[in-house]
Amino acid sequence: MTRLSLAIPSKGRLKEKSEEWLAAAGFPVTQIGGERGYQAEIAGLGDVEMRLLSAREIAQGLVDGSLHAGVTGEDLLHDLAPDGEADFRVLHRLGFGGADVIVAVPQAWVDVDTMAELEAAGAAFRKAHHRRLRVATKYMRLTRRFFAARSVGEYRLVESAGATEAAPTTGSADVIVDITSTGATLKANGLKILSDGLILKSEAVFAISPRADWKGPALGSLQALTTAADIEIGSLS
Amino acid sequence: MTHVAIVKAARGVFEASGATPVDPSYILPSDIPLELSGEAVRARLCVFTDHRGNEMVMRPDLTLPVAGLEAERLASGTHGPNAYCYAAEAFRLPAAEGDPMEFTQIGFERFGRDADPSEDAEAFALVHEAVRACGVRPVAISTGDLAVFPTYIDALGLPRVTADLLKRAFRQEGGVRALLEAAPLPIEDDMVSTLQAKTAEEAATAFRAALQARGIPLIGTRSVAEIVSGLRARAAVQEAGGIPGTVRDVIGALASVNCTAAEAADQLDAIAVRFSLSRTTSIIDRVARRMELIRELLPDLKAICGFRSGFGRRFTYYDGFLFETLGPNLTDSQPIASGGRYDGLISGLSNGRANATAIGGVVRPDRVLRAKGRGA
Repeated sequence: MTRLSLAIPSKGRLKEKSEEWLAAAGFPVTQIGGERGYQAEIAGLGDVEMRLLSAREIAQGLVDGSLHAGVTGEDLLHDLAPDGEADFRVLHRLGFGGADVIVAVPQAWVDVDTMAELEAAGAAFRKAHHRRLRVATKYMRLTRRFFAARSVGEYRLVESAGATEAAPTTGSADVIVDITSTGATLKANGLKILSDGLILKSEAVFAISPRADWKGPALGSLQALTTAADIEIGSLS
Repeated sequence: MTHVAIVKAARGVFEASGATPVDPSYILPSDIPLELSGEAVRARLCVFTDHRGNEMVMRPDLTLPVAGLEAERLASGTHGPNAYCYAAEAFRLPAAEGDPMEFTQIGFERFGRDADPSEDAEAFALVHEAVRACGVRPVAISTGDLAVFPTYIDALGLPRVTADLLKRAFRQEGGVRALLEAAPLPIEDDMVSTLQAKTAEEAATAFRAALQARGIPLIGTRSVAEIVSGLRARAAVQEAGGIPGTVRDVIGALASVNCTAAEAADQLDAIAVRFSLSRTTSIIDRVARRMELIRELLPDLKAICGFRSGFGRRFTYYDGFLFETLGPNLTDSQPIASGGRYDGLISGLSNGRANATAIGGVVRPDRVLRAKGRGA
């Protein structure tokens, strides 16, 4: 695998914006098999394997080295990388797809506004209920790292498949770690963000994989793209 | 010596101590380590999902399943001291490059004996007898006592809320510093009536009314009583004006205790004298007596035994004396042997249905082999 494998999100606004960004740099993407196909071609970069994938698959591919480069969310990269930022390299922040990954608790918890108070509430909860407070999230690693860095250990993670903000209402968890842009969904679900509960200010990024095989034409194609888009690559070793 | 020969030598020592050999379940529900130790340990657990979707783990050490056996035995009504030994595999995700995911632990766990310095010293000596039987000489031994910090905090006579906060924070990386730096948060006006209520029912009613006035739904599994008691805790910290300066000084002095094990009791005593903390005598005596006994049992290890007050605070279920023994050719995070006291674990595992003092220790044959170097 030495030709550049490049991926952009396969759906929605992230896809449109990624295509716009590539087109503006002079490399239009065309989908094979119409709007619903998952194969695509990109013009002007030589022999490139152009792929349309979910943002999560792109982040995973960059972390494990099966993709050379792609557009995905910073939140996903940080969450899927076991060794943190050694597993991926952000070359360019794209200015769209912005959202915050935050810690939120029920508004009814008037005694909990900080991570330290969440830890205290968690300890009291364990004494009273003989189990730990549950935190629902799609961001398992990101949550674990942030909670550890804020000295919070009194919790259990529950992996959430979707609609994380509903977990406290349904009773499957009390606390959530989720993505929010305006906070309106949180408010509508009776939740509030902890004052020191901002984990990451995320946006869409163009990132490359340090683990991918950069020998052969892959590097040349990347350089053609970054030169046209006015992005610094730096050293790949 | 080969791995097999090392296992045989160390196991022989523990079996000769009269402990019963066991090989408990390899697989545990993930609730057992996670509820006991919290999510922080998940990063090291070999987790999988069974066919019904239940999350399970491969045993991360032998202490947990062996303590589980003992908790069951006690809960079924059998009493009296008991001891187990094992030479068995445990499974952990590597923390450092080159760490194996599967490794052998040779060890013992003793339950229900007097939790006194002589039992601590005996357990320590037993582990080091096994280390010696493996033909390796320790280069350094770190020791600590996780009962020191909580005892000093209790001796300060702080409000219970604050004392509990500090004790919990001690077990977390950077926790105490964060707590000392945090400013107390104010109580909002509409919560005053809740705090001033005479009875729990009045408080709950006032609280529900305040929530309703704010248009906030009562969701989540924490009860009103729990939230109100959290509010009271915040009010108590606010009233005390945060954490007092002497507390910072005592914690700072404790944190800097890093000396030979022989000097530990004197250094702890100097702190107690300087801050007039009278209720620390028993823990200081305990540290002193334990070290005396260890010196008598193992005079040749005296020179390499160190003591740090913060040592082992993130070893989640340990709560008293603990130690780690380092060999040549390995890093500080790869002890060849370790052990300690965990008097609260049986109660934690059985939800309070059983209770027993507990101490144990293990030798890691894979690391002993590395410590001995090639051709040893």
